[in-house]
Amino acid sequence: MRKLALMGAMLALSHAGAVKVGVLLPLSGPSSVSGQAAQNGYRLALDEINRAGGVLGKPLEIEIEDDGSAPAKAVPAFVKLVTVDKVDFMAGGVSSAVTIALSGPAKQYDTFMAWIGAAAVPVEDAFADNPYFFHYHPWAYYNFEAILDMFKYLKRSKGAKNIAIAYEDGPFGSAGINDTVAAFKKAGFNVVLTEKFKTGSGNFGPIVSKAKAAKPDIFYWVGYDTDAQPLATEIKQQGLNVGLLYGTPPSWPVGFEKNSLSDREAGLSLWLSSSPLKASRDFVAAYRKKFGNVTEEYFAPLAYVNLMSLAAAVNRAGSTDKDKVAAELAKTNMDTPFGKLTFSKSNKIKYQGFKGENWLHFQFLNDARVPVYPIKFAKTPLVYR
Amino acid sequence: MLELFLQTLLNGLLQSGIYALVASGLALAVGVVGIVNFAHGEFVMVGAFLSWGLMTALGVDPLLGLPIAALVMFAFGGLTYRLTIRHVLIAPELNQMLLTFGLSILLQNLALLFFGGNTRTLNVPYGAVSVPLGELSVGLPKLLAFVLAAVLLAGLYFVLYRTSLGRMMRAVAQNRRGSALIGIDVDRVYLIAFGVASALAAVAGVLISVLLFASPTVGLVFGLKAFAIIVMAGLGNLTGVLWASVVLGVSEALVQTYVPGGGGWSDAVFFLLIFVTLVGRSWRGAR
Repeated sequence: MRKLALMGAMLALSHAGAVKVGVLLPLSGPSSVSGQAAQNGYRLALDEINRAGGVLGKPLEIEIEDDGSAPAKAVPAFVKLVTVDKVDFMAGGVSSAVTIALSGPAKQYDTFMAWIGAAAVPVEDAFADNPYFFHYHPWAYYNFEAILDMFKYLKRSKGAKNIAIAYEDGPFGSAGINDTVAAFKKAGFNVVLTEKFKTGSGNFGPIVSKAKAAKPDIFYWVGYDTDAQPLATEIKQQGLNVGLLYGTPPSWPVGFEKNSLSDREAGLSLWLSSSPLKASRDFVAAYRKKFGNVTEEYFAPLAYVNLMSLAAAVNRAGSTDKDKVAAELAKTNMDTPFGKLTFSKSNKIKYQGFKGENWLHFQFLNDARVPVYPIKFAKTPLVYR
Repeated sequence: MLELFLQTLLNGLLQSGIYALVASGLALAVGVVGIVNFAHGEFVMVGAFLSWGLMTALGVDPLLGLPIAALVMFAFGGLTYRLTIRHVLIAPELNQMLLTFGLSILLQNLALLFFGGNTRTLNVPYGAVSVPLGELSVGLPKLLAFVLAAVLLAGLYFVLYRTSLGRMMRAVAQNRRGSALIGIDVDRVYLIAFGVASALAAVAGVLISVLLFASPTVGLVFGLKAFAIIVMAGLGNLTGVLWASVVLGVSEALVQTYVPGGGGWSDAVFFLLIFVTLVGRSWRGAR
């Protein structure tokens, strides 16, 4: 009994003073595919960090909480991590709506946030003056630059001119929609339809009927994984004939590749498991070893890179002092599955990680996501019509 | 222009089939057993996961697995009645509501625990098949769902109005004590009614798994809309469920098509319909 108590005390002492990172992820709700992929990325990074000696000489600890993809659930979870679990740093974050809701508590508790998702521009506005906000995911306007570039390619090579846009009515889909439409028009496209929908409602019949009447060359939708299958089903069932169906959900439904409904649909990803980069191949091998499969969700490597870079910065800073860690994290220059990670200014925040150059366009072909654009990364020509 | 209007009406009509299927189960629970089952949407979700499980684990097509899911959920509903509902039937209504609300949270979290929050889609060979109706086209799964909903509802009405079990159900719904006095086994009728309500939820869940997906929260929206429908139809009024479903489905489709930004507003339609119905009834009652 005494031995057990002694072992317990030693174990407790070995963890005393350990650096703690709170991770807030959507493990349920509309963004859960991204959240669960990110959770695996964090677990993989945690293993590697602790195998290599941990952080500041102690094993790193992470506390994961589910934000349910809902601000009402996320705020108490965030406050609990910061005030009850007393984490040193916060990481995670996928949903824009959730992150906007966290901007108040983040200011109140002066929280250090290394954030992986939340690409909507209102998030950038909400954290514009936050000195401890590091944003890894490209902002929506970087995403849009990549999309516009590809659509211009379709205009040149395939004569695509008419675009129908369907977007979810939350901050992720709605923020900047007017700018999106204006940019398409400026680039010489006709925006023949702009329709919003409620994510997860699954009721796309009327939108597709309207699109059918508008005869678009490209049907571009912005929503979540829950919308992918109902929309693809409705498009096929109503026989909407478009040159390209293009979606930008943060993640796709599990197994969507194998579903015949996904055939020829295109999308955007920061990363594909087939990437030839060494850091990517290493990540895929380590992921396969730990989880027995390969992920196609880019939030897994993004979370991995997030924790690895944060841990490295804390080690370099030699303490958990926020200013010192921020200074070290700002100097990050590491090879990642996405390419080099460095931080520089974006339109409004001081520390922006990845930008527009990292995006890849893929198409669901033969039960897989195949890179089709930019041309230099394409494994096969894009299938149009 | 006319084609778009007709296609919109068709979209709304087909959508109402699923709504009617979900709402009829709820109306049965409210009308016969007299319990407002807040977990009805979660029963739909369980049906969707049963369909997904049968397809992925055993390769059973959802339409073939439909009777299995219905039987399993009938048994599950019966068990739920025996273990929980039965004990609060004469308790204050608040207790009944808290019980079914708790059941709803329990089922949703059990699904999260076992399946995670991921969206599970089904790959069925007829998923993309459409049936041309002149210039219009209808998805085969939606059409099947609508036809199945119509057949099941017709069957339900037949049972209710043409069989002795149905007469017993209606008698119990009207006067529980009086029914017991004339020899009806009220407890058995309640069990069957709650089991059938659960089975109907399962059928709706199976169809939703084909049309949409299976996820722990998939039943939530349909559960809410079912409440709107039974409020419009009048609590427990089974015959009103059909027209109320059509009103909701078609209204949503019209708003989506003809109101600017209507996709974002369509989900507000059912709140509006509840509001209008309740205010209208209170005015009629005051006169």
